[in-house]
Amino acid sequence: MSHTPDEPPPGPDPHRTAVLRSHVREAARELREAGLEIDRDPTAIDRHLHLAAVDIMRRCTVPVEYLAEPVRAGGHTFDMSSCLEHTITIEELSYGDAGFMLACPGPLMSGVAVSALGDDKQRHAYYQRLAGPDPVWTFFGLTEPEKGSAATELETALTPDGDGFRLDGAKAYVGNAAYAQLGVVFCRRAPGPLGIEAVLVDTSSPGFHAEPIPTVGMRGARISAITLRDVRVEREQILGYDTLKPTRRGLVGAIRTLQRFRPVLAGTAVGLARAVLDHVREQRPAPTGTARLRYEEVRDRLAAVRRRNYEVAAAIDAGSVRADRIAAVKTRAAELAEEATVVAAELLGPGALAADPYLNKLHRDARAFEFMEGTGHIQRLAVFQGVVKRTFLA
Amino acid sequence: MASAETRYADPTALHGFARALDACHDAAAPGALVASGDGWVIASTARLPGGVPVPGGAGAAVAMAGGAPAAPAEVLEAFADGLVRLHREAVRGVLDAAVARLDQRRSEGANLLNRQLVQGAVADVALVLSEAEDLLALADPTAGRRRHVHRRLVTAGRAALQLHGASGFVATGPGSLLHLTELLGNTYLHPGER
Repeated sequence: MSHTPDEPPPGPDPHRTAVLRSHVREAARELREAGLEIDRDPTAIDRHLHLAAVDIMRRCTVPVEYLAEPVRAGGHTFDMSSCLEHTITIEELSYGDAGFMLACPGPLMSGVAVSALGDDKQRHAYYQRLAGPDPVWTFFGLTEPEKGSAATELETALTPDGDGFRLDGAKAYVGNAAYAQLGVVFCRRAPGPLGIEAVLVDTSSPGFHAEPIPTVGMRGARISAITLRDVRVEREQILGYDTLKPTRRGLVGAIRTLQRFRPVLAGTAVGLARAVLDHVREQRPAPTGTARLRYEEVRDRLAAVRRRNYEVAAAIDAGSVRADRIAAVKTRAAELAEEATVVAAELLGPGALAADPYLNKLHRDARAFEFMEGTGHIQRLAVFQGVVKRTFLA
Repeated sequence: MASAETRYADPTALHGFARALDACHDAAAPGALVASGDGWVIASTARLPGGVPVPGGAGAAVAMAGGAPAAPAEVLEAFADGLVRLHREAVRGVLDAAVARLDQRRSEGANLLNRQLVQGAVADVALVLSEAEDLLALADPTAGRRRHVHRRLVTAGRAALQLHGASGFVATGPGSLLHLTELLGNTYLHPGER
């Protein structure tokens, strides 16, 4: 049981979100041991595909009309197209184990991009495949080795080739790419921000190669590097190519996807931080003096950022996208997750990181949030813009 | 922006802060002054005529020791809530003034506000202010929570002050204002343990 009180999040139906939270929390209970196994061997997810949490991740953000059995609880049906419901789902699964959650098959970020940019035919093909009987892993290829996640500067090239195109370049730090069946690659068709496109790529395409990058923690994310050499791309693989103007696709899709996903990522960090604090509480139930004050400080900050994250997610659902607030809540949640693990290691005493495999894992995993969905430095620039425009602290 | 700068470059800003401090007293204990657990009272010169000027307070606030019994716990808590909110507003004002000031300054042909290090420092302060707002909105406030919000605001305030350069050290400027916020926290929010 979490020691962070569950305040009803904002939104049109607090009962509905409470039902969802309870349902997902139950599924997340069995993830701790499996998460440790995945930390040792990231391919171990293949041995846990029967778990309820995997089912939730597979169906998460897939429209209900494509699913034989959508997520149902308490008389409600959930497809997690709501950013708030998506955030709550991911937070609870991450409380179970964030690495496990990220190792799961399902749409994750690529689904948000397809939903935002794809035409009916593209969405239909994508969701049909995701809803099929076999598990499908996906990836979201934005970051490049030389340019990071600076979407306007990316260099992966989409070059006309006969009646289609070819794709050449490299992507780095892309979750699940080495294990995925399909994903979205952001690339440049022409100079300037309007020349950016998002392309659906099947990883079995000739010229596509991806391999895992060993990481310090969050090994379940199976972070990978991609190389693309003369990968054939048909026009119908370019998201929104026939239905959206260049000003509404490509870069806009990348930004929209990242903004929609940042509260979800913040939810991952919040879930991990909650798990850390509850672990401290179990191992040291009655801290006193400075230890108690330090614990309470992190607990309070967690409650504050969690509440803010729900507000941001609910605002996105209501159609209000405030880049500065989204950036701030992602930054605060990521920093807090790291701090919670550092404080936990101190409160649990000398040798805790060596003796306690679970704490050790959380301590390593928490460091991933800093760079996921944009580094803290990038987020700070958005916060700065909000200060200058007097929107951030309004 | 310019109005914020004027507010804090002007010595009357300190007196404006002192008046806001008096309003905190009134909100917690209408018509009275709230004494700390150790019997200290700090207020404006007008409100506490017999008080001694607070060192470093540029004449805006005065203090009196031992002249009043400590306020009841609920009054002290209400006053402490007001004090932390006032502290947050003061840091925010100092940050706004710094942004306005740096927007007017140039170095090596470039606007100082365009420097990424400066922008990062501004964002860091803003993030603490945002977090303080969220922490103060949580249910069931505690003395521990107020103290740690105060501590983080002290750190953020000093970071905001650094953006003012040496002018942040001038007695009639934002340095004195933030010194007062630190002194008030030390007086009213201190846990009583050394």
